[in-house]
Amino acid sequence: MERRSFLKLAAATAAAAGAGTLTSTNAAAAAPTIALIPGLTADGFYVTMHKGAEAAAKALGVNLLYQGAAKWDATLEIPIVEAIIAKKPAAILIAPNDKQQLIGPLKKAFDAGIQIVCVDTFIGTGVFQTGAGDADFPISYVASDNVLGGRMAARALAKAIGEKGSVYVSNVKPNISTTDQREQGFKDEMKNYPNIKVLETQFNDDDANKAAAQFQAVFGRAPDLAGVFGANLFSASGAGNGVKQAGATGKVKIAAFDAPESIVKDLKDGTYEMTIAQHPAEIGYFGLVAAYAKVTNNPVPTAIGTGFTVMTKANIDDPNVAKFIYSSK
Amino acid sequence: MTLAVAASPTSRPSLLIRIAELRAWLFLIVLVIVFETWTRIGYGTSFLFSVYNLQAIAVFAAMPLLLGLGQTFVIISAGIDLSLAFVMGLASVIAATLTNIGAAHLGMNPPVAMMFGILAGVAVTIIPGLVNGWLIAYLGVPPFIGTLGMYGVSRGAAYLFAGGMTIAVDNDWYSQIGNGRALGFIPILVIITAAACLVLHYLLSQTRFGQHTYAMGASKAAANRAGINVKALTLKIYLLSAVMGGVAGAMYTGRFSAGAPQAGEALLLDSIAAVVIGGASLFGGSGTIWGTVAGAFVIAVIQYGLVLVDVEPFWQFIAVGAVIIISVLVDQGQRRYLGGRQAE
Repeated sequence: MERRSFLKLAAATAAAAGAGTLTSTNAAAAAPTIALIPGLTADGFYVTMHKGAEAAAKALGVNLLYQGAAKWDATLEIPIVEAIIAKKPAAILIAPNDKQQLIGPLKKAFDAGIQIVCVDTFIGTGVFQTGAGDADFPISYVASDNVLGGRMAARALAKAIGEKGSVYVSNVKPNISTTDQREQGFKDEMKNYPNIKVLETQFNDDDANKAAAQFQAVFGRAPDLAGVFGANLFSASGAGNGVKQAGATGKVKIAAFDAPESIVKDLKDGTYEMTIAQHPAEIGYFGLVAAYAKVTNNPVPTAIGTGFTVMTKANIDDPNVAKFIYSSK
Repeated sequence: MTLAVAASPTSRPSLLIRIAELRAWLFLIVLVIVFETWTRIGYGTSFLFSVYNLQAIAVFAAMPLLLGLGQTFVIISAGIDLSLAFVMGLASVIAATLTNIGAAHLGMNPPVAMMFGILAGVAVTIIPGLVNGWLIAYLGVPPFIGTLGMYGVSRGAAYLFAGGMTIAVDNDWYSQIGNGRALGFIPILVIITAAACLVLHYLLSQTRFGQHTYAMGASKAAANRAGINVKALTLKIYLLSAVMGGVAGAMYTGRFSAGAPQAGEALLLDSIAAVVIGGASLFGGSGTIWGTVAGAFVIAVIQYGLVLVDVEPFWQFIAVGAVIIISVLVDQGQRRYLGGRQAE
């Protein structure tokens, strides 16, 4: 395994060195190839991000490669990174599945002359080009500020439950940078509400069935449970179903994250009180633009923060809000 | 019920044997007692005598159990069905898609659109079921590999049909099936699962199909020589398993008002664990539907109970794993005591 990757690296470096002068003079003429590796392919968020990246690619005349694994798993993502390195794109936009495990493979790509842009999730600390640490080489981190997203969810939920009662976070699994940050932001903001008690986080492994049962169990022991923050799609969906099963619709409010197409119904029938919708198309678009800027020798900001839209029953019909619903159309 | 039981020389072991066979139920009783004590002391509430808790546990166990029912037949036949993880998701996605098409394009009213979707979702699972059966029975592919291949194919198919997202369904009738209560307190989902248990129990214990399944699991060679068409039997078993995956998937769509390709992914190992805890041997030849029911409830009670008494979430994984290991050890012990394992 070591030998193979070394040989690949040697070949890539030789090719890059040999063709170095050629590519820099032809940069303007040949359409650069940029690859996008999503966190996982089967997810409305990443499908929408792909759309945004495609729009930017079309506008800039970039050839966009898209490859990803069907599951959020570093052991699946790493071989894809290696396969993409072999295609020698000018840059890779990637949503790393693990803060640590992807540092090595991406460093290999960087050493082979491929620029790296982290989208949505990050490696190392997410703060790049500072001269410190072994995960410093990516040129930019383009994402929503998930800590802020968690704070916004906390504020909206606190207001909805009258600033008192118990709440808990329904999360996926530990060590995913985005959901970790949302939970952190949520818990931090909740410290500002002395009458709200934050119960222990429940991990559901991205299974709605488990999230529902966990909700019912927490509700069973904490009858003053007033709110739940679902840190991702299936967490919120499961908790929402748990509320329904427990007959507590209206009594326990769910703050969801992300806006798949089913969000319209879920907001209107009260399953969710609100959702924090990210702007994945923006992330894809600006991620690609950042990569293109670097590849054409222009400066790039090391962090690009995209926004959120808080969607509620009241505003979901407004086209300016509804346009942020994640869809593949 | 178990065919390959060696002669036990004395009458004394029969009590131990009975205990070993019913170990899943004993586990369940022990767990319930533990949690009952814990909730009474810690929270002043009851674990068992709470309709709320019973409903929650029953609904939690329903879908893994539906998968486990089909898996029971497969495991008794000395096989395994890994494709259920995504056959369930495929059914869920197709059910959602066709319910929507029925309502929007074929002018069906909600209950008809729902039936159309459910039937389509279950029907589509016939394909992976037949492919599994054909690969394993007629091409001699080992069940682990064959169903692992279909795991991948179903996964890709489910994601392709869903376009990488979940398919939202807006159908009150369908939502009622997944979430409604009969008589005010019995979840319809539980009634459907219970009906499936009764049907499959009858199939396994009272029909020739069931008896032949045991025979095949105990000794394929002997079953062949006895004139059982093992190939056709294998095909039927994997078909049954896939169809149960289809039922589970259709139920998922009703419950969450959305079809999700990964609906069954987290449930696969629970379904196998339920069968094993319930007394089946992974080598085949033994196992019962009621054992699987007990196994599914053991897993649900542990996972629900630990959250209810506010134990650190990671202990749940350890607990379920420990129960599986103890089950297998008891199973091994039982076999050694009886004198030799099942012939393969």
